[in-house]
Amino acid sequence: MSNFVNLSIFENYQKYIDNEQEIREKIRLMVRKIEQNTKEAAIQLQIIHCDLSKIDNACEKARKTIAACSENYQSLSELIPIGQYYRYSDHWTYITQRLVFIIAMVVYLEAGFLVTRETVAEMLGLKTNQADGFHLDIEDYLMGILQMASELSRFATNSVTLGDYDRPLHISRFMANLNAGYRLLNLKNDGLRKRFDALKYDVKKIEEVVYDISIRGLKNITNEATDETSNKETEENYSSTNAVGTVENI
Amino acid sequence: MSGRSNARKQPKVKEKVIIDENNPMLRAFRAYSMELDAKHDRYERIVKLSRDITIEAKRIIFLLHSIDIRKGNKEKVLEEAQQRLEKVIKVNFKAVAQEMHNLDPYQYRGAYAPGLQEFIEAYSFMEYMRYADDNSTSLDNEASMSDWQQLQGKMQYIEAETNDEISAEMKEHKLSFHVEPSEYILGISDLSGELMRRCINSLGSGETDTCLLICKVLQHLYKGYIGLSIPRCRELSRKIHTMRQSVLKAEDVCYNVKVRGGEAAKWGLESEKPNVDIDEGFF
Repeated sequence: MSNFVNLSIFENYQKYIDNEQEIREKIRLMVRKIEQNTKEAAIQLQIIHCDLSKIDNACEKARKTIAACSENYQSLSELIPIGQYYRYSDHWTYITQRLVFIIAMVVYLEAGFLVTRETVAEMLGLKTNQADGFHLDIEDYLMGILQMASELSRFATNSVTLGDYDRPLHISRFMANLNAGYRLLNLKNDGLRKRFDALKYDVKKIEEVVYDISIRGLKNITNEATDETSNKETEENYSSTNAVGTVENI
Repeated sequence: MSGRSNARKQPKVKEKVIIDENNPMLRAFRAYSMELDAKHDRYERIVKLSRDITIEAKRIIFLLHSIDIRKGNKEKVLEEAQQRLEKVIKVNFKAVAQEMHNLDPYQYRGAYAPGLQEFIEAYSFMEYMRYADDNSTSLDNEASMSDWQQLQGKMQYIEAETNDEISAEMKEHKLSFHVEPSEYILGISDLSGELMRRCINSLGSGETDTCLLICKVLQHLYKGYIGLSIPRCRELSRKIHTMRQSVLKAEDVCYNVKVRGGEAAKWGLESEKPNVDIDEGFF
Protein backbone atom coordinates (compact mmCIF):
# COMPACT_ATOMS: atom_id res chain seq x y z
CA MET A 1 0.00 0.00 0.00
CA SER A 2 1.51 3.26 -1.02
CA ASN A 3 0.85 6.30 1.05
CA PHE A 4 -1.40 9.11 0.10
CA VAL A 5 1.01 11.70 1.43
CA ASN A 6 3.92 11.94 -0.89
CA LEU A 7 6.85 13.04 1.22
CA SER A 8 8.92 14.08 -1.77
CA ILE A 9 6.61 17.09 -2.00
CA PHE A 10 8.12 18.34 1.22
CA GLU A 11 11.65 17.72 0.04
CA ASN A 12 10.95 19.67 -3.10
CA TYR A 13 9.40 22.47 -1.14
CA GLN A 14 12.39 22.65 1.17
CA LYS A 15 14.65 22.98 -1.86
CA TYR A 16 12.42 25.67 -3.25
CA ILE A 17 12.54 27.63 0.00
CA ASP A 18 16.30 27.21 0.38
CA ASN A 19 16.73 28.61 -3.07
CA GLU A 20 14.53 31.57 -2.21
CA GLN A 21 16.49 32.23 0.97
CA GLU A 22 19.71 32.33 -0.98
CA ILE A 23 18.32 34.99 -3.28
CA ARG A 24 17.05 36.95 -0.29
CA GLU A 25 20.48 36.82 1.28
CA LYS A 26 22.03 38.37 -1.81
CA ILE A 27 19.32 41.00 -2.02
CA ARG A 28 19.91 41.94 1.59
CA LEU A 29 23.59 42.56 0.95
CA MET A 30 22.88 44.78 -2.01
CA VAL A 31 20.15 46.68 -0.19
CA ARG A 32 22.56 47.32 2.66
CA LYS A 33 24.91 49.03 0.22
CA ILE A 34 22.10 51.22 -1.01
CA GLU A 35 21.20 52.03 2.55
CA GLN A 36 24.75 53.19 3.14
CA ASN A 37 24.60 55.50 0.13
CA THR A 38 21.24 56.85 1.14
CA LYS A 39 22.44 57.64 4.63
CA GLU A 40 25.39 59.53 3.21
CA ALA A 41 23.18 61.61 0.99
CA ALA A 42 20.78 62.28 3.86
CA ILE A 43 23.64 63.52 6.01
CA GLN A 44 24.90 65.78 3.25
CA LEU A 45 21.48 67.34 2.94
CA GLN A 46 21.21 68.12 6.63
CA ILE A 47 23.41 71.18 6.06
CA ILE A 48 20.44 73.04 4.60
CA HIS A 49 19.06 73.44 8.10
CA CYS A 50 22.06 75.39 9.34
CA ASP A 51 23.73 77.06 6.37
CA LEU A 52 21.73 78.30 3.40
CA SER A 53 24.76 79.25 1.35
CA LYS A 54 25.89 75.64 1.18
CA ILE A 55 22.72 74.33 -0.40
CA ASP A 56 24.07 74.16 -3.92
CA ASN A 57 27.13 72.40 -2.75
CA ALA A 58 25.12 69.88 -0.75
CA CYS A 59 22.87 69.15 -3.72
CA GLU A 60 25.86 68.50 -5.90
CA LYS A 61 27.31 66.05 -3.41
CA ALA A 62 23.96 64.34 -2.93
CA ARG A 63 23.57 63.92 -6.66
CA LYS A 64 26.88 62.10 -6.81
CA THR A 65 25.78 59.73 -4.08
CA ILE A 66 22.52 59.15 -5.88
CA ALA A 67 24.43 58.26 -9.00
CA ALA A 68 26.28 55.63 -6.97
CA CYS A 69 22.91 54.25 -5.85
CA SER A 70 21.80 53.82 -9.40
CA GLU A 71 24.69 51.43 -9.99
CA ASN A 72 23.69 49.41 -6.97
CA TYR A 73 20.11 49.30 -8.20
CA GLN A 74 21.43 47.91 -11.43
CA SER A 75 23.10 45.03 -9.56
CA LEU A 76 19.98 44.58 -7.45
CA SER A 77 17.78 44.29 -10.50
CA GLU A 78 19.99 41.54 -11.83
CA LEU A 79 19.31 39.47 -8.72
CA ILE A 80 15.56 39.48 -9.19
CA PRO A 81 14.09 36.87 -11.53
CA ILE A 82 11.81 38.34 -14.17
CA GLY A 83 8.24 38.81 -12.99
CA GLN A 84 9.04 38.35 -9.31
CA TYR A 85 9.56 41.97 -8.31
CA TYR A 86 6.81 41.88 -5.72
CA ARG A 87 7.96 38.61 -4.27
CA TYR A 88 11.04 40.29 -2.84
CA SER A 89 10.10 43.95 -2.95
CA ASP A 90 9.65 44.21 0.82
CA HIS A 91 13.43 44.28 1.08
CA TRP A 92 13.83 47.54 -0.75
CA THR A 93 10.57 49.48 -0.57
CA TYR A 94 11.64 51.37 2.53
CA ILE A 95 14.98 52.41 1.17
CA THR A 96 13.51 53.33 -2.19
CA GLN A 97 11.03 55.63 -0.48
CA ARG A 98 13.90 57.23 1.37
CA LEU A 99 15.76 57.78 -1.87
CA VAL A 100 12.73 59.26 -3.55
CA PHE A 101 12.58 61.68 -0.65
CA ILE A 102 16.22 62.67 -1.08
CA ILE A 103 15.95 63.10 -4.82
CA ALA A 104 12.77 65.13 -4.48
CA MET A 105 14.49 67.30 -1.91
CA VAL A 106 17.51 67.88 -4.13
CA VAL A 107 15.37 68.76 -7.11
CA TYR A 108 13.23 71.09 -5.04
CA LEU A 109 16.26 72.87 -3.61
CA GLU A 110 17.80 73.26 -7.05
CA ALA A 111 14.81 74.17 -9.13
CA GLY A 112 11.82 74.63 -6.84
CA PHE A 113 9.45 72.13 -8.37
CA LEU A 114 8.29 68.62 -7.68
CA VAL A 115 10.29 65.90 -9.32
CA THR A 116 8.19 63.54 -11.42
CA ARG A 117 8.15 59.83 -11.01
CA GLU A 118 9.78 59.45 -14.40
CA THR A 119 12.70 61.62 -13.41
CA VAL A 120 13.27 59.79 -10.15
CA ALA A 121 13.19 56.48 -11.98
CA GLU A 122 15.68 57.76 -14.49
CA MET A 123 18.04 59.04 -11.83
CA LEU A 124 18.00 55.64 -10.16
CA GLY A 125 18.24 53.77 -13.44
CA LEU A 126 14.80 52.23 -12.97
CA LYS A 127 11.80 51.86 -15.24
CA THR A 128 8.40 53.33 -14.60
CA ASN A 129 6.48 50.56 -16.26
CA GLN A 130 6.32 47.18 -14.64
CA ALA A 131 6.50 45.42 -17.97
CA ASP A 132 9.86 47.00 -18.84
CA GLY A 133 11.73 45.47 -15.95
CA PHE A 134 12.82 46.52 -12.48
CA HIS A 135 10.64 49.54 -11.81
CA LEU A 136 9.88 52.29 -9.37
CA ASP A 137 6.60 51.41 -7.73
CA ILE A 138 4.13 54.26 -7.75
CA GLU A 139 3.31 53.86 -4.09
CA ASP A 140 6.97 54.08 -3.16
CA TYR A 141 7.22 57.30 -5.12
CA LEU A 142 4.18 58.80 -3.42
CA MET A 143 5.42 57.76 0.02
CA GLY A 144 8.80 59.32 -0.64
CA ILE A 145 7.22 62.60 -1.66
CA LEU A 146 5.23 62.69 1.57
CA GLN A 147 8.45 62.32 3.53
CA MET A 148 9.77 65.34 1.70
CA ALA A 149 6.78 67.36 2.88
CA SER A 150 7.77 66.85 6.52
CA GLU A 151 11.32 67.80 5.76
CA LEU A 152 10.19 70.96 3.99
CA SER A 153 8.14 72.06 6.96
CA ARG A 154 11.25 71.74 9.08
CA PHE A 155 13.23 73.59 6.45
CA ALA A 156 10.72 76.44 6.44
CA THR A 157 11.21 77.00 10.15
CA ASN A 158 14.96 76.88 9.91
CA SER A 159 15.18 79.18 6.92
CA VAL A 160 13.34 81.82 8.95
CA THR A 161 15.83 81.33 11.76
CA LEU A 162 18.60 81.81 9.23
CA GLY A 163 17.01 85.03 8.03
CA ASP A 164 15.44 83.95 4.75
CA TYR A 165 11.84 85.14 4.88
CA ASP A 166 10.93 84.45 1.25
CA ARG A 167 11.52 80.77 1.32
CA PRO A 168 8.59 79.82 3.57
CA LEU A 169 6.24 81.59 1.18
CA HIS A 170 7.49 79.56 -1.70
CA ILE A 171 7.42 76.37 0.30
CA SER A 172 3.90 77.12 1.39
CA ARG A 173 2.68 77.52 -2.18
CA PHE A 174 4.51 74.39 -3.18
CA MET A 175 2.95 72.43 -0.36
CA ALA A 176 -0.50 73.74 -1.21
CA ASN A 177 -0.08 72.37 -4.71
CA LEU A 178 1.24 69.12 -3.38
CA ASN A 179 -1.71 68.79 -1.08
CA ALA A 180 -4.07 69.47 -3.97
CA GLY A 181 -2.25 66.81 -5.95
CA TYR A 182 -2.66 64.19 -3.26
CA ARG A 183 -6.32 65.06 -2.99
CA LEU A 184 -6.75 63.91 -6.56
CA LEU A 185 -5.78 60.40 -5.52
CA ASN A 186 -8.35 57.91 -4.31
CA LEU A 187 -6.37 56.35 -1.54
CA LYS A 188 -7.29 53.03 -0.09
CA ASN A 189 -7.15 52.53 3.62
CA ASP A 190 -3.51 51.53 3.67
CA GLY A 191 -0.08 52.79 4.66
CA LEU A 192 -0.08 55.49 2.01
CA ARG A 193 -3.38 56.81 3.24
CA LYS A 194 -2.10 56.92 6.79
CA ARG A 195 0.99 58.79 5.74
CA PHE A 196 -1.09 61.19 3.68
CA ASP A 197 -3.22 61.99 6.69
CA ALA A 198 -0.09 63.39 8.33
CA LEU A 199 0.46 65.81 5.45
CA LYS A 200 -2.07 68.28 6.80
CA TYR A 201 0.05 68.81 9.90
CA ASP A 202 3.04 69.69 7.74
CA VAL A 203 0.91 72.07 5.72
CA LYS A 204 -0.44 73.63 8.89
CA LYS A 205 3.01 74.11 10.31
CA ILE A 206 4.18 75.95 7.21
CA GLU A 207 1.07 78.09 7.15
CA GLU A 208 1.82 79.14 10.69
CA VAL A 209 5.33 80.13 9.73
CA VAL A 210 3.98 82.17 6.82
CA TYR A 211 1.45 83.76 9.14
CA ASP A 212 4.11 84.74 11.65
CA ILE A 213 6.17 86.34 8.91
CA SER A 214 3.29 88.21 7.30
CA ILE A 215 1.81 89.78 10.44
CA ARG A 216 5.20 91.17 11.29
CA GLY A 217 5.88 92.30 7.76
CA LEU A 218 9.19 90.51 7.69
CA LYS A 219 10.93 90.68 4.34
CA ASN A 220 14.40 90.08 3.07
CA ILE A 221 16.41 93.29 2.75
CA THR A 222 17.58 92.28 -0.68
CA ASN A 223 14.00 92.02 -1.84
CA GLU A 224 12.78 95.08 -3.69
CA ALA A 225 9.91 96.69 -1.88
CA THR A 226 7.55 96.37 -4.80
CA ASP A 227 4.09 94.90 -4.84
CA GLU A 228 4.52 91.53 -3.24
CA THR A 229 1.67 89.73 -4.91
CA SER A 230 2.82 90.47 -8.45
CA ASN A 231 6.25 89.36 -7.42
CA LYS A 232 4.81 86.11 -6.24
CA GLU A 233 2.97 85.52 -9.44
CA THR A 234 5.95 86.03 -11.69
CA GLU A 235 7.89 83.68 -9.54
CA GLU A 236 5.21 81.07 -9.81
CA ASN A 237 5.05 81.38 -13.55
CA TYR A 238 8.75 81.06 -13.70
CA SER A 239 8.82 77.94 -11.62
CA SER A 240 6.05 76.22 -13.53
CA THR A 241 7.54 76.96 -16.94
CA ASN A 242 10.84 75.85 -15.62
CA ALA A 243 9.28 72.63 -14.47
CA VAL A 244 7.78 71.94 -17.87
CA GLY A 245 11.01 72.74 -19.58
CA THR A 246 13.03 70.42 -17.45
CA VAL A 247 10.59 67.59 -17.75
CA GLU A 248 10.67 67.90 -21.50
CA ASN A 249 14.42 68.13 -21.56
CA ILE A 250 14.68 64.89 -19.73
CA MET B 1 -7.10 77.68 14.11
CA SER B 2 -9.13 75.22 12.10
CA GLY B 3 -11.27 78.02 10.81
CA ARG B 4 -8.27 79.61 9.24
CA SER B 5 -7.05 76.45 7.61
CA ASN B 6 -10.52 75.86 6.18
CA ALA B 7 -10.50 79.33 4.78
CA ARG B 8 -7.26 78.57 3.09
CA LYS B 9 -8.46 75.31 1.68
CA GLN B 10 -11.42 76.87 -0.04
CA PRO B 11 -9.46 78.85 -2.61
CA LYS B 12 -7.18 75.89 -3.09
CA VAL B 13 -10.00 73.82 -4.52
CA LYS B 14 -10.85 76.63 -6.88
CA GLU B 15 -7.24 77.03 -7.81
CA LYS B 16 -7.09 73.36 -8.68
CA VAL B 17 -9.79 73.78 -11.29
CA ILE B 18 -8.25 76.87 -12.80
CA ILE B 19 -4.64 75.84 -13.06
CA ASP B 20 -5.32 72.21 -13.70
CA GLU B 21 -4.21 72.26 -17.31
CA ASN B 22 -0.97 74.14 -16.99
CA ASN B 23 0.22 73.02 -13.60
CA PRO B 24 2.56 70.13 -14.33
CA MET B 25 2.36 68.87 -10.80
CA LEU B 26 -1.37 68.35 -10.91
CA ARG B 27 -1.20 66.87 -14.36
CA ALA B 28 1.33 64.35 -13.08
CA PHE B 29 -0.87 63.56 -10.11
CA ARG B 30 -3.83 62.96 -12.34
CA ALA B 31 -1.79 60.31 -14.10
CA TYR B 32 -0.70 58.78 -10.81
CA SER B 33 -4.27 58.75 -9.68
CA MET B 34 -5.33 56.80 -12.73
CA GLU B 35 -2.57 54.29 -12.21
CA LEU B 36 -3.41 53.80 -8.56
CA ASP B 37 -7.10 53.40 -9.32
CA ALA B 38 -6.37 50.79 -11.94
CA LYS B 39 -4.29 48.89 -9.44
CA HIS B 40 -6.89 49.04 -6.68
CA ASP B 41 -9.71 48.08 -9.02
CA ARG B 42 -7.84 45.07 -10.24
CA TYR B 43 -7.09 44.08 -6.68
CA GLU B 44 -10.73 44.32 -5.73
CA ARG B 45 -11.83 42.31 -8.73
CA ILE B 46 -9.39 39.55 -7.82
CA VAL B 47 -10.57 39.60 -4.20
CA LYS B 48 -14.11 39.08 -5.47
CA LEU B 49 -13.08 36.18 -7.65
CA SER B 50 -11.14 34.69 -4.79
CA ARG B 51 -14.14 34.92 -2.51
CA ASP B 52 -16.26 33.02 -5.01
CA ILE B 53 -13.61 30.34 -5.18
CA THR B 54 -13.53 30.10 -1.39
CA ILE B 55 -17.28 29.70 -1.17
CA GLU B 56 -17.44 27.03 -3.82
CA ALA B 57 -14.47 25.17 -2.32
CA LYS B 58 -16.12 25.14 1.10
CA ARG B 59 -19.29 23.77 -0.40
CA ILE B 60 -17.38 21.06 -2.17
CA ILE B 61 -15.68 20.09 1.09
CA PHE B 62 -19.07 19.94 2.75
CA LEU B 63 -20.32 17.79 -0.07
CA LEU B 64 -17.38 15.43 0.32
CA HIS B 65 -18.11 15.06 4.01
CA SER B 66 -21.53 13.74 3.12
CA ILE B 67 -20.01 10.58 1.71
CA ASP B 68 -21.42 7.76 3.75
CA ILE B 69 -20.78 4.09 3.24
CA ARG B 70 -24.24 3.24 4.46
CA LYS B 71 -25.85 5.38 1.82
CA GLY B 72 -23.62 4.06 -0.91
CA ASN B 73 -23.31 7.48 -2.47
CA LYS B 74 -19.54 7.52 -2.76
CA GLU B 75 -19.26 7.31 -6.54
CA LYS B 76 -21.89 9.88 -7.17
CA VAL B 77 -20.55 12.43 -4.71
CA LEU B 78 -16.98 12.01 -5.87
CA GLU B 79 -18.04 12.49 -9.44
CA GLU B 80 -19.94 15.64 -8.63
CA ALA B 81 -17.12 17.04 -6.51
CA GLN B 82 -14.62 16.45 -9.25
CA GLN B 83 -16.80 18.15 -11.82
CA ARG B 84 -17.33 21.14 -9.64
CA LEU B 85 -13.63 21.44 -8.93
CA GLU B 86 -12.83 21.27 -12.61
CA LYS B 87 -15.37 23.96 -13.19
CA VAL B 88 -13.66 26.18 -10.63
CA ILE B 89 -10.40 25.66 -12.47
CA LYS B 90 -11.97 26.36 -15.85
CA VAL B 91 -14.01 29.37 -14.90
CA ASN B 92 -12.88 31.08 -11.72
CA PHE B 93 -9.15 30.55 -11.87
CA LYS B 94 -9.16 31.40 -15.51
CA ALA B 95 -10.70 34.73 -14.69
CA VAL B 96 -8.00 35.39 -12.11
CA ALA B 97 -5.35 34.40 -14.62
CA GLN B 98 -6.86 36.83 -17.10
CA GLU B 99 -6.70 39.63 -14.57
CA MET B 100 -3.06 38.95 -13.93
CA HIS B 101 -2.06 38.39 -17.51
CA ASN B 102 1.45 39.70 -18.04
CA LEU B 103 1.63 40.94 -14.46
CA ASP B 104 3.72 39.93 -11.53
CA PRO B 105 1.64 37.23 -9.79
CA TYR B 106 3.14 38.17 -6.44
CA GLN B 107 1.71 41.66 -6.60
CA TYR B 108 -1.85 40.47 -6.06
CA ARG B 109 -0.99 37.52 -3.90
CA GLY B 110 -2.87 38.87 -0.93
CA ALA B 111 -5.99 39.09 -3.06
CA TYR B 112 -6.16 35.57 -4.37
CA ALA B 113 -4.33 33.60 -1.67
CA PRO B 114 -7.39 32.73 0.49
CA GLY B 115 -9.28 31.34 -2.48
CA LEU B 116 -6.31 29.40 -3.73
CA GLN B 117 -5.64 27.84 -0.34
CA GLU B 118 -9.24 26.83 0.13
CA PHE B 119 -9.31 25.38 -3.35
CA ILE B 120 -6.16 23.35 -2.71
CA GLU B 121 -7.71 22.05 0.46
CA ALA B 122 -10.86 20.98 -1.36
CA TYR B 123 -8.96 19.47 -4.24
CA SER B 124 -6.64 17.42 -2.07
CA PHE B 125 -9.55 16.31 0.10
CA MET B 126 -11.30 15.07 -3.00
CA GLU B 127 -8.14 13.23 -3.96
CA TYR B 128 -7.97 11.71 -0.53
CA MET B 129 -11.52 10.45 -0.73
CA ARG B 130 -10.74 8.93 -4.07
CA TYR B 131 -7.62 7.35 -2.65
CA ALA B 132 -9.45 5.89 0.32
CA ASP B 133 -11.98 4.51 -2.11
CA ASP B 134 -9.42 2.86 -4.36
CA ASN B 135 -7.66 1.49 -1.34
CA SER B 136 -10.58 -0.62 -0.38
CA THR B 137 -10.99 -2.18 -3.79
CA SER B 138 -7.42 -2.75 -4.93
CA LEU B 139 -4.40 -2.88 -2.70
CA ASP B 140 -1.79 -1.97 -5.26
CA ASN B 141 -2.79 1.58 -6.06
CA GLU B 142 -0.06 4.15 -6.44
CA ALA B 143 -2.24 7.18 -5.97
CA SER B 144 -0.98 10.03 -3.90
CA MET B 145 -1.94 13.67 -3.70
CA SER B 146 -1.04 16.06 -6.46
CA ASP B 147 1.80 18.42 -5.87
CA TRP B 148 1.81 22.05 -6.95
CA GLN B 149 3.30 21.27 -10.31
CA GLN B 150 0.44 18.95 -11.14
CA LEU B 151 -2.07 21.57 -10.08
CA GLN B 152 -0.17 24.15 -12.05
CA GLY B 153 -0.39 21.82 -15.02
CA LYS B 154 -4.17 21.88 -14.73
CA MET B 155 -4.32 25.65 -14.68
CA GLN B 156 -3.12 26.30 -18.17
CA TYR B 157 -5.49 28.06 -20.46
CA ILE B 158 -5.43 28.90 -24.08
CA GLU B 159 -7.42 31.92 -24.92
CA ALA B 160 -8.59 32.96 -28.30
CA GLU B 161 -8.38 36.68 -28.63
CA THR B 162 -9.87 38.73 -31.35
CA ASN B 163 -7.50 41.34 -32.51
CA ASP B 164 -9.22 44.58 -33.37
CA GLU B 165 -6.82 45.68 -36.05
CA ILE B 166 -6.88 42.44 -37.93
CA SER B 167 -10.45 41.64 -37.11
CA ALA B 168 -10.65 38.40 -39.04
CA GLU B 169 -7.62 36.87 -37.47
CA MET B 170 -7.95 34.97 -34.24
CA LYS B 171 -4.90 35.13 -32.10
CA GLU B 172 -4.29 32.52 -29.46
CA HIS B 173 -2.29 33.14 -26.41
CA LYS B 174 -1.47 31.07 -23.41
CA LEU B 175 -2.57 31.94 -19.92
CA SER B 176 -1.67 30.21 -16.76
CA PHE B 177 -2.46 30.61 -13.15
CA HIS B 178 0.64 30.63 -11.02
CA VAL B 179 0.38 28.15 -8.18
CA GLU B 180 2.79 29.42 -5.59
CA PRO B 181 4.37 26.49 -3.70
CA SER B 182 4.04 28.33 -0.38
CA GLU B 183 0.30 28.71 -0.90
CA TYR B 184 0.11 25.06 -1.80
CA ILE B 185 1.84 24.05 1.42
CA LEU B 186 -0.47 26.29 3.44
CA GLY B 187 -3.50 24.89 1.63
CA ILE B 188 -2.49 21.31 2.28
CA SER B 189 -2.02 22.01 5.96
CA ASP B 190 -5.72 22.85 6.14
CA LEU B 191 -6.42 19.40 4.78
CA SER B 192 -5.42 17.98 8.15
CA GLY B 193 -8.47 19.62 9.74
CA GLU B 194 -10.78 18.04 7.19
CA LEU B 195 -9.20 14.64 7.65
CA MET B 196 -9.64 14.91 11.38
CA ARG B 197 -13.32 15.72 10.95
CA ARG B 198 -13.69 12.83 8.60
CA CYS B 199 -12.01 10.60 11.16
CA ILE B 200 -14.46 11.64 13.87
CA ASN B 201 -17.42 11.25 11.53
CA SER B 202 -16.30 7.80 10.50
CA LEU B 203 -16.18 6.82 14.11
CA GLY B 204 -19.77 7.93 14.42
CA SER B 205 -20.81 5.76 11.51
CA GLY B 206 -18.76 2.84 12.75
CA GLU B 207 -16.14 2.78 10.01
CA THR B 208 -13.23 2.07 12.27
CA ASP B 209 -10.94 1.10 9.39
CA THR B 210 -11.28 4.57 7.97
CA CYS B 211 -10.27 6.05 11.32
CA LEU B 212 -7.09 4.05 11.35
CA LEU B 213 -6.28 4.93 7.76
CA ILE B 214 -6.87 8.63 8.30
CA CYS B 215 -4.78 8.60 11.42
CA LYS B 216 -1.91 7.10 9.46
CA VAL B 217 -2.28 9.69 6.71
CA LEU B 218 -2.33 12.49 9.28
CA GLN B 219 0.78 11.20 10.97
CA HIS B 220 2.50 11.08 7.62
CA LEU B 221 1.41 14.60 6.80
CA TYR B 222 2.60 15.87 10.14
CA LYS B 223 5.95 14.20 9.62
CA GLY B 224 6.32 16.07 6.35
CA TYR B 225 5.49 19.40 7.93
CA ILE B 226 7.75 19.22 10.93
CA GLY B 227 10.59 18.35 8.58
CA LEU B 228 10.34 21.75 6.94
CA SER B 229 12.51 24.55 8.14
CA ILE B 230 10.98 27.75 6.95
CA PRO B 231 12.35 30.99 8.32
CA ARG B 232 9.98 33.84 9.06
CA CYS B 233 6.68 32.22 8.29
CA ARG B 234 4.35 32.79 11.19
CA GLU B 235 1.35 31.56 9.28
CA LEU B 236 2.86 28.16 8.66
CA SER B 237 4.01 27.58 12.21
CA ARG B 238 0.53 28.44 13.41
CA LYS B 239 -0.92 25.93 10.99
CA ILE B 240 1.52 23.25 12.06
CA HIS B 241 0.41 23.80 15.60
CA THR B 242 -3.22 23.34 14.60
CA MET B 243 -2.24 20.27 12.64
CA ARG B 244 -0.69 18.78 15.73
CA GLN B 245 -3.99 19.18 17.55
CA SER B 246 -5.75 17.35 14.72
CA VAL B 247 -3.22 14.54 14.76
CA LEU B 248 -3.62 14.13 18.49
CA LYS B 249 -7.38 13.97 18.19
CA ALA B 250 -7.21 11.36 15.47
CA GLU B 251 -4.76 9.33 17.50
CA ASP B 252 -7.08 9.49 20.47
CA VAL B 253 -9.88 8.14 18.32
CA CYS B 254 -7.73 5.24 17.21
CA TYR B 255 -6.73 4.55 20.78
CA ASN B 256 -10.32 4.41 21.88
CA VAL B 257 -11.19 2.14 18.99
CA LYS B 258 -8.44 -0.21 20.04
CA VAL B 259 -9.20 -0.44 23.76
CA ARG B 260 -12.96 -0.14 23.76
CA GLY B 261 -13.97 -1.34 20.37
CA GLY B 262 -15.70 0.80 17.77
CA GLU B 263 -19.03 1.24 19.43
CA ALA B 264 -17.91 2.38 22.82
CA ALA B 265 -15.42 4.90 21.44
CA LYS B 266 -18.20 6.91 19.92
CA TRP B 267 -19.58 7.61 23.38
CA GLY B 268 -16.22 8.19 24.92
CA LEU B 269 -15.51 10.97 22.51
CA GLU B 270 -18.79 12.74 22.95
CA SER B 271 -17.32 15.25 25.36
CA GLU B 272 -14.85 16.44 22.74
CA LYS B 273 -17.47 17.10 20.11
CA PRO B 274 -17.97 20.81 20.76
CA ASN B 275 -14.24 21.29 20.42
CA VAL B 276 -14.34 19.67 17.05
CA ASP B 277 -16.94 22.07 15.80
CA ILE B 278 -14.89 25.09 16.70
CA ASP B 279 -11.81 23.90 14.93
CA GLU B 280 -13.07 23.52 11.43
CA GLY B 281 -9.74 23.91 9.79
CA PHE B 282 -11.00 26.77 7.65
CA PHE B 283 -8.54 29.58 7.34
